[in-house]
Amino acid sequence: MKIEHRIILSNFFNIMLLVIVISFALQNLNLVLTKLRFIQIADDLNASFLEIRLTEKNYFLYRNKMNLYDILNKIHEIRYSIDNVKEDIIKAVGEDKFQTLNKNLNDYTNVIALISEIDEAKINNEQTENSIREAGKKLREFSEQITRLERTHTNELIMNSKKILLHSFWIIILSSIIISHLISKKILQSLKLIEKLTLSISEGNFQTIEEVTPDEECNSVIKAINFMSNELKNREEQLIQSKKLASIGVMTAGVAHELTNPLNNISMLAQTYIELYDNLSRDDRIDFMNKVEDETDRMKEIVKNFLDFSKPKEPHLEQIDINTVIQKAVKLTQNMLYVSNIETQLELKNNLPLSFIDKNQIQQVLVNLITNAVQAMTKNGKLIIASDLDESKKYIKITVTDTGKGIPPELLQHIFDPFFSTKGEGGTGLGLSVSYGIIKNHYGDITVESEVGKGTTFTIRLPIYNKIERSKTNE
Amino acid sequence: MSKPQIMVIDDEKIVCDMSKLSLEQSGYEVETFLSAEPALDRLKEKKFDVIVTDYKMKGLDGMDVLKTVKNLYPDTKVIMITAFANLETAIEALRSDVYDFFPKPVKIKELKASIERALHG
Repeated sequence: MKIEHRIILSNFFNIMLLVIVISFALQNLNLVLTKLRFIQIADDLNASFLEIRLTEKNYFLYRNKMNLYDILNKIHEIRYSIDNVKEDIIKAVGEDKFQTLNKNLNDYTNVIALISEIDEAKINNEQTENSIREAGKKLREFSEQITRLERTHTNELIMNSKKILLHSFWIIILSSIIISHLISKKILQSLKLIEKLTLSISEGNFQTIEEVTPDEECNSVIKAINFMSNELKNREEQLIQSKKLASIGVMTAGVAHELTNPLNNISMLAQTYIELYDNLSRDDRIDFMNKVEDETDRMKEIVKNFLDFSKPKEPHLEQIDINTVIQKAVKLTQNMLYVSNIETQLELKNNLPLSFIDKNQIQQVLVNLITNAVQAMTKNGKLIIASDLDESKKYIKITVTDTGKGIPPELLQHIFDPFFSTKGEGGTGLGLSVSYGIIKNHYGDITVESEVGKGTTFTIRLPIYNKIERSKTNE
Repeated sequence: MSKPQIMVIDDEKIVCDMSKLSLEQSGYEVETFLSAEPALDRLKEKKFDVIVTDYKMKGLDGMDVLKTVKNLYPDTKVIMITAFANLETAIEALRSDVYDFFPKPVKIKELKASIERALHG
């Protein structure tokens, strides 16, 4: 079901609850109005009955028949009033009580009519007086009773309405909270799934997931992300292919260029040898041939480097303190550092955890970085080599910083490319590329930061030795 | 009559040495340099008739040499040699004021013929 439909449905449910409560409240209000109207009628009846009783009392005092006619007139008026609001009275007190009222009224009318029609002398005063009083009293009591009853009913009605409205308010609030919670929980579940998928994609796992959420919108998003994941996978494969092709191109050009210089040297030695052959002494000729031999050795070395690069050796890993490897690398390059008059500063952190490395390969990387640093600096430069735990505490960080000329930003991105060199004919362009391969083979990372005119810092991160993880890996 | 003055700049020592031997054999006076910086310093002191320079070197390269030479001595001819024998390099070199352009490996006879043309052509 769409999230939009869920929200509409929950709103509809709440609106329905509101409609029920409002209609109930309206119904109660109507009932209260009817009751109030009836109380008004009952009050009027009470007043009329009181007036009749007063006239009745006057009759008994003065024996004036005019009083009886007044009473009959008033009863007639009351009947007229009662007939007009008959419906309201029945609604308020019920049919039975209405009939009782009519009967009492009839009894009273009959007694009054009887007395008014016979002679004064024939009237048994005491008996007549009693029957009139009795009938009048009944009328008065009845009207008072129903007035009291209705007031009580009305009060109860208002109290009940108040309670129901209060309860309805809490029920609506509670249902809104529960429904919102249920909807948001479902949406959040779907979003969590999407978050997990996108995080996995960002880590390079181009997987897809099934559309399992009940929300159509979330399923559409998952569908789109799955599509994106597949596209990224395809693009990455294409990119890897084109990078491979580009690498082959760069490597071929690099090898050709590297070999061209010694080839040119051999060619020039041969041409000059032939040209000057008659003027050359035996020693000169031997010197020429030695140079040819040196150049062929140089070519052999280039080919060997190239083969080393294309088939990196598997590292022989062992637990070792990285600081001893750094110190060995510095010792190996000591003479070069001394000749170039470069101040070397070691900032090695004590008690670092052991790393799991091939010491010869890491030493090769460090010697390479130190050599590059020396070549980038004029005399009196400063080289700082530091070791420490990195911020994540999972890696040992080694930094090699020089105060050399720096690398322009446009060249920085190619610094680890094979055969890329900033040293002109002097560099093979393989050193950093091989170093990069070695560090990657150690599941580490090598990065570079540089500022032209200020210097360059290479940062190597190597994973620390972890017995538990190692045993898991070995399993 | 004084000998034609030739300067050779290349960071390969053998190129410098063989060029010097062969060109001196042909009657030129040759000075060689393993990088551009000392060569340019020397140019401030002495005018050369033809300069043979490598295209790619550590530090200043062949194009830097060309610009400086053309500023100091507009009539001095510059011949470029390079191991980067691709089309872009050749086009860039020939569009500039380079007199001639040779990809490595260089034929010394062709280089000498080019120097001759530069001197007398």
